[in-house]
Amino acid sequence: MTSPPATGLSDADFTRFCEYFYKRTGIHFTPGKRYFVDKRVDTCIRNSGYDTFASWFAALRMADKGEMLQDLINQLTVNETYFLREDYQFDAMLSNVLPAVLKARGGLGRIVGPVKILSLPCSTGEEPYSIALRMLEEWEHIEQVDVEIHGADIDSDVLAKAAHASYGERSLQRVPKAWVNKYFVDVGAGRYQVDEGIRSAVTLHRVNVCDTAAMRAFRDFDVVFCRNVLIYFDELSSRRAAENLYSSLRPGGYLFLGHSESMSRISPIFTPSRLPEGIVYQRPTGAK
Amino acid sequence: MTSDTATRARVLVVDDAATVRLYHTSLLSDAGFEVEEAVNGLEAVEAALSTEFDLFIVDVNMPKMDGYTCVETLRSETVGSAAPVVMISTEDRPGDADRAYQAGANLYLVKPATGDRLVRLARMLTAAEVAT
Amino acid sequence: MGLVRKQAPQQPEEALPVKPSPETLLTRLHDHDADCRREAALGLVGVAEAIPALLARVGTEEDPRVLESILITLAAHDSEDVAGGLAVHLASDEAGLRTAVAAALATMPRSVPSVLPSLLAAPDHDVRVMTAMILADLPHPDAHAWLARMISEDPHPNVVTGAIDALLPSATEDDVQLLRDAVERFPDDPFLRFTVNAALPRLTGGS
Repeated sequence: MTSPPATGLSDADFTRFCEYFYKRTGIHFTPGKRYFVDKRVDTCIRNSGYDTFASWFAALRMADKGEMLQDLINQLTVNETYFLREDYQFDAMLSNVLPAVLKARGGLGRIVGPVKILSLPCSTGEEPYSIALRMLEEWEHIEQVDVEIHGADIDSDVLAKAAHASYGERSLQRVPKAWVNKYFVDVGAGRYQVDEGIRSAVTLHRVNVCDTAAMRAFRDFDVVFCRNVLIYFDELSSRRAAENLYSSLRPGGYLFLGHSESMSRISPIFTPSRLPEGIVYQRPTGAK
Repeated sequence: MTSDTATRARVLVVDDAATVRLYHTSLLSDAGFEVEEAVNGLEAVEAALSTEFDLFIVDVNMPKMDGYTCVETLRSETVGSAAPVVMISTEDRPGDADRAYQAGANLYLVKPATGDRLVRLARMLTAAEVAT
Repeated sequence: MGLVRKQAPQQPEEALPVKPSPETLLTRLHDHDADCRREAALGLVGVAEAIPALLARVGTEEDPRVLESILITLAAHDSEDVAGGLAVHLASDEAGLRTAVAAALATMPRSVPSVLPSLLAAPDHDVRVMTAMILADLPHPDAHAWLARMISEDPHPNVVTGAIDALLPSATEDDVQLLRDAVERFPDDPFLRFTVNAALPRLTGGS
């Protein structure tokens, strides 16, 4: 059993902080995470320039725009991106969601138009390319059905990297060697670039998910992955982002959030449904 | 009917007020129930999708999804729960109780409900479940 | 077959159909199709001229998703006309409406103070309970003080307990006497006593 670091939070402050964080995000910190939280909160307090937990915490609760909260969440969550991250959701897409999508759209013989999948934020591209690899390797109908994969992000720097699509071993560590050999080109210096054929098949866009007008470009998606970004937004922005994602979906379309995120802190407009791999959200079909 | 702890009845306490959740959770866990919490109707629906509950205690005034909508959703095909629901509210407007029963609640109580009463009701409602 | 690129890849701006005018969107607020109304409300973000029409729909819109989109658009203005127009619905018999309006008001720290005096003095104690809910989340430096006043002065125990719940996350040692006094005022309320007793050890620096 470790005691908290010298600059750590008092028990009362730790409790107060955890309750606030749970209320805001739905994320629980157990006593076992005490040391982790103490350290990270301490970093935030120092970054912010406040002297004490009390003054920092008061400012955090007062701030209705997101910077302090963003810094806090950055400190408290793992935000590294890599291929096949949280891939149990790709499992869910393949085993449950895509069959349901096909069925809803008339089945193999009658589906009109492509199956459309959106990854937002796509960051440096690992997520949309992971989807592409899983689809190519494991979707039984990939030869019979058109699939469009789109990636979107607000940051043009990461989009440029996504377009270039070259990655180091850390990012690729969960990718089977056989897939690396098949779908990537060794470009030296420990980096591998996604095949041109796949790169050109993934469409990248620059967009702010909170911008309703800009998000109108995205319509009729069957599956949207919006993982680990809504958690950063303040109340109104996250609700508007949820609305824009809803509008981007076909009725009956599916939305995946990050594994520790929930619509319960954001918006009631989606219908939750339970898959073996966890909760997924749907835009209602509108059929009564 | 056994008193084996593995078959303790599971209750979901749904209220946006942390103090109210604490109060109900303490009462019910002291009385031998396995208690989980949800801060609003949406979280309650998601919890009910993942876990089978034997009883729901649901507040009326909650953000994101109010209590009546929550109960309707628990009863709908989204969740399909038939477990008893006790709604608790600070409000005492005419028609509130009817609204609760329309939504699918079994009981409607006005706050503050005394601890003893709630525990007695919880035992009665979950025993009835076990017996059927 | 397989992975395909959208046939005519375009920049999002080029791909957008022409954005409907505010006048068109205002008309669509009354469309029989709920999705159309919803998208119209969302599209009216930032349009001050739309406030009266949106406020008028708050009381009459039956689809909860459309109501949600109307409130998101209205709340972003954070102006006194919106705060005043929304506050009347805190007295609504519809739980979904009054809680959705309370949640919207809780995001409006600049304009809610203008309606607070009348809310705190509302004859209907249920409205005052909703007001405590708003103050629980309103990011305003005086929220704590308003809640403290409710705790020491409100005549209804359910309002006081709601205010205590709202105050506790920001409570300090300085609030101990306030909370003890509330128990004195309502000695027969077991929930209030339990809540204060559970909170006091943390505030007095114990455990």
